[in-house]
Amino acid sequence: MSTPDAPSYYQPNVQHNSALSVVKFYSSCFAGAVAGILGLQNWLGFALFMISTLFTSSCIYFINCRGKPAKYIPGGLTELVNPGQDNMFTFVLVWTLFYGIVHGKEW
Amino acid sequence: MSASEVSLYLDPQIRDWVLFPITLVMILVGILRHYVVILLQSTPQKLSRAALREQRALTRSQILRATSTKSLLPPSYYTSISRHLSQAFESGKYLKDGPPKPGDAPASPLNPMTDPAAMDGMMAGMKTQMVMMVPQMVIMGWINFFFQGFVLIKLPFPLTLGFKSMLQRGIETPEMDVRWVSSLSWYFLNFFGLNGLYRLILGGENAADSSRDMMATPFNTTAAAGPGQDFAKLFKAERDNLELAEGLYSWAGAGVEERVLRKYGKLPPQ
Repeated sequence: MSTPDAPSYYQPNVQHNSALSVVKFYSSCFAGAVAGILGLQNWLGFALFMISTLFTSSCIYFINCRGKPAKYIPGGLTELVNPGQDNMFTFVLVWTLFYGIVHGKEW
Repeated sequence: MSASEVSLYLDPQIRDWVLFPITLVMILVGILRHYVVILLQSTPQKLSRAALREQRALTRSQILRATSTKSLLPPSYYTSISRHLSQAFESGKYLKDGPPKPGDAPASPLNPMTDPAAMDGMMAGMKTQMVMMVPQMVIMGWINFFFQGFVLIKLPFPLTLGFKSMLQRGIETPEMDVRWVSSLSWYFLNFFGLNGLYRLILGGENAADSSRDMMATPFNTTAAAGPGQDFAKLFKAERDNLELAEGLYSWAGAGVEERVLRKYGKLPPQ
């Protein structure tokens, strides 16, 4: 007989996944601050953002999802890794801010 | 990178009195906007009992349909609910104005301009739109008036020369690196970058998100299940959908005893 093959999600739990976007926001904020304080420029800064995004999602992947993201997140792995446009802009903002504050004296 | 090696010495006062104020003002204005929009939202008008019944009948059938391929309802219950609903849809029992009489002409679709309820919805959308646009223009005017004509900050990443006219407006130095930008560029960085912060402070459904309302129009509020819909037609379509769903129906609990026994090894595996 038919066993449930497509994973079914309980809607309130999916809504609680917005905690994930909060974590992503914090992650991109701190990545921006680190990049700005270290004085990274050009592609080095964006590389740091990539690394931080991958690190954050791998933490969620292994610790929170126990290796099965599709079980918890409707979009699966792509949804987990994708930082979203907002967070990318947040990263650029915080990066520029901290770069301006910290390295302002050396100009 | 020879051009960017030439260092500019910016007064730290610029940082304290331009960079921080712009950021702070934009955050606070975003929060203010959120609360103003909440205040402006008019409470939705109460529907009459018949109109509510009309909508709920449709919702009920949609819920039934959505799970029909793996329904938790046993077949007897499923078919009885489904038949009952499709009969009711056919006879027009749940229609707001009662079942249609045979001689009636089909009602023409309502014009949203003449319907006062739809008009109210459109006005509310327009008001929200105003609350969105006015602060942006005010802040841009404020920045242009007070903070124009000097370099504010150095971007940590290079941009192409095409950005020069936009990001260095009011600074007449053709040789300067594009990475030195004016306060208006800082405004745009904030404009796009603060959405995440608003989401954190105000929750997911906040009204402070500024880049989203570029796409929104004041007229899309009526596009959702507005009062101008022809429910007779919707019911007819829903009845077809119900029949289709009944064909797709399967019970999640079918043969569950055997499956459980087989899982725990009480029956030989197939």
